[in-house]
Amino acid sequence: MAARGGKGWRWGGAVLGVAVLLGFPIVVSDVYLQHLAIFFLLWVTLGTSWNLLGGYAGQISFGHAAFFGMGAYTSSLLFAKLGFPPWPGMLLGGVAGILLALPMGHICFRLRGPFFALSMLALSEFLRLVTLNWRDLTEGAVGILLPPFFISKLPYYYIALALAAATMLATWFLVDSKVGFYLLAIREDQDAAEALGIDTTWYKLVALMVSAFFSAMAGSYYANYMAYIDPPIVFSIVDISIAMILVAVLGGMGTLWGPVVGALVIVTLSEAFRAYFAAAHLIVYGVLIIVVIVFMPEGIVGSLAARGPRWLRPRVATDAPGASQG
Amino acid sequence: MKRMGWISMLAIALVCMATSASVAGEVIKVGLPLPLTGIHAKFGEAIRNAYLLGLEEITAAGGVTKGAFKGSKIELLIEDTTSKPEVARSAVEKLITRDKVPMIVGEYSSSNVFAVAAVADKFQIPYLSQTGAADNITQQGWKWVFRVNQPASEYAGGLQDFLLKVVKPKSMAILFENTLFGTSLSKAVQEWTKEVGIEVTNFEPYEAGAIDFKPMLLKVKAKNPDVMFMVSYLMDAMLLMRQSKELDINPKIFAGGAAGFTMPEFIEGARGAAELVYSATLWAPDVKYKGAREFYDKYYKKYGVHPEYHSTEGYAAAYVLKDVLERTKSLKNEDLREALAATDMLTPFGPVKFEAYKKFINQNRLPTLVVQIQKGKLVTVWPKEFAAADYVYPVPKWAERK
Repeated sequence: MAARGGKGWRWGGAVLGVAVLLGFPIVVSDVYLQHLAIFFLLWVTLGTSWNLLGGYAGQISFGHAAFFGMGAYTSSLLFAKLGFPPWPGMLLGGVAGILLALPMGHICFRLRGPFFALSMLALSEFLRLVTLNWRDLTEGAVGILLPPFFISKLPYYYIALALAAATMLATWFLVDSKVGFYLLAIREDQDAAEALGIDTTWYKLVALMVSAFFSAMAGSYYANYMAYIDPPIVFSIVDISIAMILVAVLGGMGTLWGPVVGALVIVTLSEAFRAYFAAAHLIVYGVLIIVVIVFMPEGIVGSLAARGPRWLRPRVATDAPGASQG
Repeated sequence: MKRMGWISMLAIALVCMATSASVAGEVIKVGLPLPLTGIHAKFGEAIRNAYLLGLEEITAAGGVTKGAFKGSKIELLIEDTTSKPEVARSAVEKLITRDKVPMIVGEYSSSNVFAVAAVADKFQIPYLSQTGAADNITQQGWKWVFRVNQPASEYAGGLQDFLLKVVKPKSMAILFENTLFGTSLSKAVQEWTKEVGIEVTNFEPYEAGAIDFKPMLLKVKAKNPDVMFMVSYLMDAMLLMRQSKELDINPKIFAGGAAGFTMPEFIEGARGAAELVYSATLWAPDVKYKGAREFYDKYYKKYGVHPEYHSTEGYAAAYVLKDVLERTKSLKNEDLREALAATDMLTPFGPVKFEAYKKFINQNRLPTLVVQIQKGKLVTVWPKEFAAADYVYPVPKWAERK
């Protein structure tokens, strides 16, 4: 808990941050920027929920698109088949994510090694194939086209903001509680954690369920916002599962603000490069990611925490993996 | 001296403002979102090239040559949508709100067309789609969305006609790539078989990118259907035909549902197994539409690649755009929409006229063609009025061929 002296500054900063976030879509009426802000918030949610499990509990998932897609399909099908309103449907989407996480975690967390990562990969591919082939229920590859719910972007923005804030608060709360210390203990040395009497399977499962809940809510949100989903889009390994890892790793695994910075980099820079560098945008973007990973192996926030000036260090600096060596 | 500088700059600025206020000589910027990177990059590039070829010709001929915008040049603002719907949405929101384009054309995959169409319709900016195939693109009641190409369910219209009049099959196997296009077209054909009383012996989806079709083909062989209908992309089309020949499957005809079966690479890659295969298609270079052959030659000369229907659609859309700008009263959305709706012209892709029929609105209603591979060449054989040569039927069994 560094920088205790800066408490006043922190509160001031927090109030300012909240004001900026709440006021953004009112001051900036450009829908293009609003759209980018919405995607930034969506990726904060996704990066943070992956980070809770991967960064804090050390359980790497290669297939979080399983939860994302599950949420997207749950709320969309509820709406398309039963007329169930899509925004409450988002909550049910999140619950569907938990229901999916329960058996997965229950089975996989008893094992060590890469089993969980690979099982998640398999799960997301399995769900992609099921939704692709269960044509009577899901329309298969034709996908589900929903009517757009709001004309204005304001409601979308505030829902995305609420979702991102809830995910970050849940992470903050969990990590600051006893559970958070258990998770860190599990990440650093599972045997030692067991020896201390921590039910490692259960606490890993708790982290997975929270992570799945918010990932699935984000999936439902995506479906509501984009108003069209199909299996290759929502169960995409590269565009969802890997991108979630990228957001967390780039920003800083195991830090609260890492995924926020990661999402900012991924969403805004990739769009800026796309808009201004034409065909070369992927090269520029790729080089940037390589540079960050080579020179800041603990992610942007993680590296700043370890080496940066004192006032820049985030509050959870001591949680960053490798921070102690830096 | 300094004051003189200011005054002359002011004068220049005033002159500039005056010229931009008058319409003649203006540059009209139109948005063209396309997937230039990512999984659909190949198609995005082919379509971009076709638009640019069309635009080059239009500009060389004096740009917009009639109407309120006589003498204006058209500029296409190309945005790479990286084959992702959310990026297509970013791109089109940028085009509309930042670049203030009066109209949008382009996109390729149906999922991206949905994203663009929803935004265009919300902002009430006319959008002309030339390739997205999903039926519901023009079934959503989107007043501002127009489509040049046929909807997926109609891709096999010409082929169905050919089957009823020439082949008169009793049974049919339907094999398809499990994608939006494959599923939509196969379902439409399956429903049609129920109407006309053809028994479907096999209805088999396969994963995109599959390479071993023998287990599926053996099931087909056991049923020995009259027609084997396949909706496939390039590699799977080649492999399906090669493996059908190896397994000596002999339906009365092999028929493809556009896509892979009409690509020049298919004929080469199928190594002789492509001969006499039929396929539905939207367009072929020898079709008797004015300018079709010329487009094919020009495109091939400029890019060194054989264009297929995706490119022709882009080229045709560029000319539709020019035609609309020659007829519109202003660049206001209502006027542009009205001009689009009143389109009635001939393009190398066929006549373009937007109609409302069945559940569709703003939909160009075009016949689809049947091509057959004869002596290693794609030949239009049906319908009769557009045919370049006679069809070869009956098709001899593999063993009886030389």
